[in-house]
Amino acid sequence: MKSSELKNQEYKYGFSTDIENFKAPKGLSEKTIEFISEVKKEPKWMLDWRLKAFNRLKVLKEPNWQKPKYPKINYQDLYYYSAPKSMKDKPKSLDEVDPKLIETYNKLGIPLNEQKKLSGVAVDAVFDSVSVATTFKGELDKKGIIFCPISEAIQKHPELVKKYLGSVIPISDHYFATLNSAVFTDGSFVYIPPNTRCPMELSTYFRINASETGQFERTLIIADKGSYVSYLEGCTAPMRDENQLHAANVELVALDDAEIKYSTVQNWYPGDKDGVGGIYNFVTKRGACRGKNSKISWTQVETGSAITWKYPSCILQGDNSVGEFYSIAITNNHQKADTGTKMIHLGKNTKSKIISKGISAGLADNTYRGLVDIGAKAKNSRNYTQCDSLLMGNKCGAHTVPYIKNKNSSSTVEHEATTSKINEDQLFYCNQRGLNQEEAVSLIVNGFCKEVLQQLPMEFAVEAQKLVSISLEGSVG
Amino acid sequence: MEKLFNIDLSKISSASSQEALDRKKNLELFLKTGLPNKRDENWKFSDLNFIISKNFKQITNNDDLKFDKKFKLIKEFEHNYIILVNGIIKSFDIKYEEKGKLKVETLKSLENFSKPNNNLYYLNKALSLGGFYLEVQKDYKCKKPIIIYNYFTSNLDNKIINNSNQIKLNENTELTLIEYNIGEKSKFLKNTFETINIGKDSSFKSIILQKSKSSGYFYKNITGSQAYNSSYQNFILSSGLKFNKIEINMDLEKENSNCYILSGLSLGKKEHQEIKTQINHLAPNCKSYQKIKNVLESDSTGVYQGKIFVKDMAQKTDAYQLSKALILDDQAEFNAKPELEIYADDVKCSHGSTSGSIDENAIHYLMTRGIELQEAKKLLINGFISEIFENIPEEKLKVFLEKSIMEQINGI
Repeated sequence: MKSSELKNQEYKYGFSTDIENFKAPKGLSEKTIEFISEVKKEPKWMLDWRLKAFNRLKVLKEPNWQKPKYPKINYQDLYYYSAPKSMKDKPKSLDEVDPKLIETYNKLGIPLNEQKKLSGVAVDAVFDSVSVATTFKGELDKKGIIFCPISEAIQKHPELVKKYLGSVIPISDHYFATLNSAVFTDGSFVYIPPNTRCPMELSTYFRINASETGQFERTLIIADKGSYVSYLEGCTAPMRDENQLHAANVELVALDDAEIKYSTVQNWYPGDKDGVGGIYNFVTKRGACRGKNSKISWTQVETGSAITWKYPSCILQGDNSVGEFYSIAITNNHQKADTGTKMIHLGKNTKSKIISKGISAGLADNTYRGLVDIGAKAKNSRNYTQCDSLLMGNKCGAHTVPYIKNKNSSSTVEHEATTSKINEDQLFYCNQRGLNQEEAVSLIVNGFCKEVLQQLPMEFAVEAQKLVSISLEGSVG
Repeated sequence: MEKLFNIDLSKISSASSQEALDRKKNLELFLKTGLPNKRDENWKFSDLNFIISKNFKQITNNDDLKFDKKFKLIKEFEHNYIILVNGIIKSFDIKYEEKGKLKVETLKSLENFSKPNNNLYYLNKALSLGGFYLEVQKDYKCKKPIIIYNYFTSNLDNKIINNSNQIKLNENTELTLIEYNIGEKSKFLKNTFETINIGKDSSFKSIILQKSKSSGYFYKNITGSQAYNSSYQNFILSSGLKFNKIEINMDLEKENSNCYILSGLSLGKKEHQEIKTQINHLAPNCKSYQKIKNVLESDSTGVYQGKIFVKDMAQKTDAYQLSKALILDDQAEFNAKPELEIYADDVKCSHGSTSGSIDENAIHYLMTRGIELQEAKKLLINGFISEIFENIPEEKLKVFLEKSIMEQINGI
């Protein structure tokens, strides 16, 4: 890509769709929760579950130990449910869906029309608080794979939802997770039956459109014995000068010999050059390796959001289970990120690997915060952690806060971290070969991130690579 | 519930009514929240309130200074000495140094201490009976090290001792200070605050050593500042206490200064040690280097919390942290939090942390060479720890330190 092309690409998903919305009354109350539950035609047990979370929320306090501080959020001034009016009566097929919505997704590069299918990827598209469409349902049905909006799963597969919802992130967890449990609207539900390898990538595309709205999505993925699934989420939002809250919960459960690969390309609106607007991305992601030999792998490319605050974690319960975390967090201008992972080793012979790359430019602050906890019974466990930070300019900050706990003598924990700037010799070499400053930086940064980028599914690796270059746009020189 | 503290301020003679009032105020401040617990981020891995509540009751301040033990000086190498009993100067002898170049006196004043960073500061201010003041005059390089013999009176059960010390090195000076703690059977608390000022072109070496096991619960807070081209080296070799937390906050205020913190500890039954450091790089071209090694036996706990802070103007900083732990028993535990907070881009900052067991291949190798298992382990542990001494130039001192570490290892 030429640098002139690069220059014109600021935040290209910043448009908003002019569509008539159907919203819940403003504010957080039992009424709002009852409203959401009613609109979703939820059974009673679900409403009770939400209300239980809401009662718990009343006694919880917002955490404040994180590095990026933000102005107090007025939870009574938000809409907790917003959906395009045309979605009120569920359209039966794609033909009935409002063309404006289809248009929006086409513009975002996500074709919902199966004829123009993105090869080998099934998409669930979530627009504000509702799921617009899910593609390739038929093909997945044949294999017994359930891939649908979570609101649909609550109605159609209550036994699965009841069994697993809240089993990894309990409703009494922390403030934002509990808030999500009370007011969550839509998200994906995936169930892979035993001994099945999901034939295609599953993907959810989240889009915030309405203003003054918080998006609270909930995703639940269950990989039954011996199954495999690769799941990808992407997200964008319009450019607005207000801060919008996105507090999602993602729960993964891997049973015996199952593997879940979860990739995120997060590109919420990061705010403008002066730090006005942008999304507060306060997300709780947690996976439980319940079964023996199970594996959960998180890969994330975090380029958007005004504040990113999330720690995709693995609870390694089953013997021989494996947890992985690959992350690139890029912050520019006034963006702030406080992200990392938790690896909780409980089973024997459990292994975890953490690779984190943080890049800070402009006036941004980038923090890696992680926990590796090896329990007394997790014999012969192993962890390897590597976090590297790259600083561009002396107005930004890069921080590393690892917590390491080792409680038995047969386990090994290794951690290393470095912080540096772009090597001038490398820059000089690239310049000499005819690359201009910006291209050279982009090349070197991509090299720095390579270990993580190569973990992404093919279709998205290219996209992510471009994103890395664009996010650092204008930070050189 | 029974009260944990039973402090009697009337036991302390204050110089003025103002001082008495200050003490009272500080004690109230302390008692309001009590000892720090794990909810405090700085005490996350060492819940002092829990540890002390479990082992102590009705803690009172000590006023008994009767001392009837015999002093035993180290014979291995020539040195000056200061003898402290319960932290107060009993006697001193600086015969190897030129007259008037070294100032040793009892520190009474509690002024000039940095701002509090935890509640123990208030406790110290309320109860401190002082300590020592040590100053090296301009352009004087001490010929021999100074050993501080830290003796304690018997019958200190459920007592608390509070001290405050001050060390000052003026421009172009050199000093090696060895703090030598002598073990004591009774169970007591010691809370010490120390300030260190290192002047331009000066070099300060400090060694903390523990002789024989002790039932003491120690907390020591060191706050320091370093001027242009100064050097600070701290060797922490104080194994053998029931609880020990050493907190070091060092400001590298001017260019070209460097700070080394090296530690080799082997911890045994029911021992809990924490080293917490914060190195603030406030000027360009400074260097800091930390290497913490722990050998953990039985149900001991080792903790390392290190933080490197680099201010935006502190370009060309070179900062390094390494913590390594050998865990020899399933009940032992090692916790680490090596932290970096960096605001300058042209820096080289890195840290590493590992914990694990003894390399079985190495043991196998040694055993095939005819070395018994126990002996092989000792050899490897010794190799693991003694790397710390590489930076000590004085040969006799090095031999002495190696010997005392060997004694500790043999005790395992």
